[in-house]
Amino acid sequence: MLTSFRSINRRDFLKFCAGTATLLGLSEAAVPRVAKALEEAAKKPPVIWLEGQDCAGCSISFTNTSNPGTAEIILDTISLRYHEALMAASGHQAEKALQDSIKEGGYVLVVEGSIPEADDRYCKIADVPFVQTVKEAAANAAAVIAIGACATYGGIPRGTPSKGMGISAAMDKGLVPKKPLINVPTCPVHPEHFVGTVVYYLLYKKPPPMDAHLRPLLFYDKLIHDNCERRGHFENGEFLADWNDFKQRNFCLYLKGCKGPFTHSDCPKRRWNDGLNWCIGCGAGCQGCSEPAFYTGMSPLYQKTKDIAGYRIETVGAVMAGAVAVGLAGHFIGQAMTGRLGKGGPTEKGGES
Amino acid sequence: MGRRITVDPVTRIEGHLKIEVEIENGKIKDAWSSGTMARGFEALLTGRDPRDASFVTSRFCGVCFSVHTMASAAALDEAFGAQVPDGGRILRNLIMGSEYLYDHILHFYQLTALDYLDIMAIADYNGMDKELLAVKDKIVGLVKRGDTYPLTPRYEPDAFSVNDPEIVTMAVKHYLDALKIQVTARNMGAIFGGRAPHFQSIVVGGVTQYPDAEQIGRFKSMLDEVSAFIKNVYMQDVLLFGKGPLLPLAQAGIGGGHLNYLSYGSFPEDSAGENLFFKGGVIKNGNLGTVVPFDQAKVTESVKHAWYKEKDPVHPYEGEQIFDLDKKDAYSFVKAPRYEGMPMEVGPLARMLIMKEPNLMGLVTDYGVKPGAVARHAARMLETVMLVDQMQVWLGQLIEEAGKPGFRIQDTANYEPPESGEGVGFYEAPRGALGHWIKIKDKKIENYQAVVPSTWNASPRDEKGVRGQYEESLIGVPVPDPENPINIVRVIRSFDPCLACAVHVIHPRTNEILKFRIE
Repeated sequence: MLTSFRSINRRDFLKFCAGTATLLGLSEAAVPRVAKALEEAAKKPPVIWLEGQDCAGCSISFTNTSNPGTAEIILDTISLRYHEALMAASGHQAEKALQDSIKEGGYVLVVEGSIPEADDRYCKIADVPFVQTVKEAAANAAAVIAIGACATYGGIPRGTPSKGMGISAAMDKGLVPKKPLINVPTCPVHPEHFVGTVVYYLLYKKPPPMDAHLRPLLFYDKLIHDNCERRGHFENGEFLADWNDFKQRNFCLYLKGCKGPFTHSDCPKRRWNDGLNWCIGCGAGCQGCSEPAFYTGMSPLYQKTKDIAGYRIETVGAVMAGAVAVGLAGHFIGQAMTGRLGKGGPTEKGGES
Repeated sequence: MGRRITVDPVTRIEGHLKIEVEIENGKIKDAWSSGTMARGFEALLTGRDPRDASFVTSRFCGVCFSVHTMASAAALDEAFGAQVPDGGRILRNLIMGSEYLYDHILHFYQLTALDYLDIMAIADYNGMDKELLAVKDKIVGLVKRGDTYPLTPRYEPDAFSVNDPEIVTMAVKHYLDALKIQVTARNMGAIFGGRAPHFQSIVVGGVTQYPDAEQIGRFKSMLDEVSAFIKNVYMQDVLLFGKGPLLPLAQAGIGGGHLNYLSYGSFPEDSAGENLFFKGGVIKNGNLGTVVPFDQAKVTESVKHAWYKEKDPVHPYEGEQIFDLDKKDAYSFVKAPRYEGMPMEVGPLARMLIMKEPNLMGLVTDYGVKPGAVARHAARMLETVMLVDQMQVWLGQLIEEAGKPGFRIQDTANYEPPESGEGVGFYEAPRGALGHWIKIKDKKIENYQAVVPSTWNASPRDEKGVRGQYEESLIGVPVPDPENPINIVRVIRSFDPCLACAVHVIHPRTNEILKFRIE
């Protein structure tokens, strides 16, 4: 029963379930169902978490999860068999835990960091090339969740001499066995995107609905630009030119290089760090880290990406102001621009599609 | 010939580290430290808009991300000729301060505490404290369920492990509390930094977040909360352990190593960057009374035992980054930086010794504590206390500055890349001295390089065969049971290793394309 299943009290447990339901966009009515599904699990589902060419940023970001909290997840919800940054074991013991769990099978494999395509020796742990460890671990996994830009699409390491590649690419090349794969990108991974994906999988035993890049639609189906809190300023042609000007502080960041028009994520709604702020909120702009094109395809980060709909973006304000006078026409131009913004944009090879 | 054992991976650190030691008569006779992953960021940056550097180099490390961005931005500031306004300088200090606070708390509780606790002693807790009983229930529940991952497997507790049930239960409660408070500290940074990990708001010339009263108020209340934890919990735990069960380890100076210390200094207190809150300096050969100024011209790097093309030791600016994965005698992706030819320790112990922090000096004189693994934990705690108080001062300065007409956070006039230029950014990361160098030509990055803290600490042997600081600090460390080498990880973790950034280093000055030989 409950006490034997988890070592937290009923109140905390229901709070955990409510947090989980919220993450998945489910209503309060779903809480009992979440509770039932978790309680009925005979044992804590095993999870193996591998780090390759990574910076541990996704691991640190994961510890940012507050509802449900990190301790509830790693102690009460999952059986975390291997995680270099958190596990007590070192060396042989750590490797034995990994091998034992692989033999047992049926776990969720979480991968953080890329695989070096140029030469296996750029990343070895316990004297084993990382690609080999991923191959063995994926073989017996129920599902693979790739987190962060590096493990999903190669991220920043893709552009380096070691040629980091994501799990999708490694599966496509036959280096890693094909398994149900969920990509949870951004650099680093958003803790709620990750925990929400894990919990969805634990509840439904299958990946959530995903887009062509295997990103859960739940979190990545909308353009940042379409839901941006600064969108009104974009429509008004008000672009930030000087960070020191109080009046401009919430203006559109497109001229500062913001990639929001080409980037899919619910960051505008969800924000980061318990909703305290986010990349556009702090005046820096979006750098497109949820997209396969990131990083090389998004570079240069701090320059305007392109003009839109045939208008020099700097003059949009004037165009829009004129258009308002003719009523509907102005709205029409706005729609046309919006439509165009959704298509085209940075690609993995750089430049525009 | 003693017995050789290998710990690979050393877990609960950032990055991939292998430690190999030779044991004779129950003590470590020789040691080798290897960084086992490389990416090669510097080649990626070549030819790009220089402003990308402060964003990309944050990804050197997802633990001390802020300091890479800061060092990179400082190098850009110099290369662009940008003057960071006081508002931007103070905001940068507050953002980076938050990184120290979360990082040091996370290191003590999540990354190292398990090495000193016999966690299963909790089962014997018989007190009445409701919160401690809840912790006991939690852990006992895991045991009953037959699944104690990730708390086990582990190295077996030894004579230095704390096994008093009440202390252990309290420590585990603090482990769980720390997991939450480190989030508060990091989130605090996101108020002005945009988000964390990987702050967004630091750019050349300052920051992008124009602070408002609500943000300042929220920052203040979170800072108060973190400050209370640091003083009421973290400080007390370190003192309780250090002056109690770990005192013999502390007095024996286990894990001391070369006793050479280096700090660049950090946290500018004026716009010229001349007055730094953490002071720079050098201590040689354990001569703690004599601190000499740091001179960057005296830094060289050896690649004799690293997987890079053979070359005589040179200043980092003359260095090159041509991988040679087949090199004989090489055993690490980490180079071997030396100061006046000597290996140096960097990090909190180096900083606090260089600043002659009175409480640390008190532990040395009154308790006979010697520089080593335990002293590192004490120094890290003491600088956290020092910093959290100073952040209150900076926040006060920010409030004052923000009320002035003409308050500025960024140098707009010098935001576009110059035709050419060069700059260097020195900063102290939570784990030690960090330097970024940039050269700009035709408005693009011509050359980028970084020499990072763990390159100093984790370095392999140099061309003279002199061991790096991790290696030297292991010499003489007792390992009575080679099957249970818990003292190795205690010593290594006391440095707070951060390996990912130790191995991305420098790109060739000549713009030569990186070559690697593949069999």
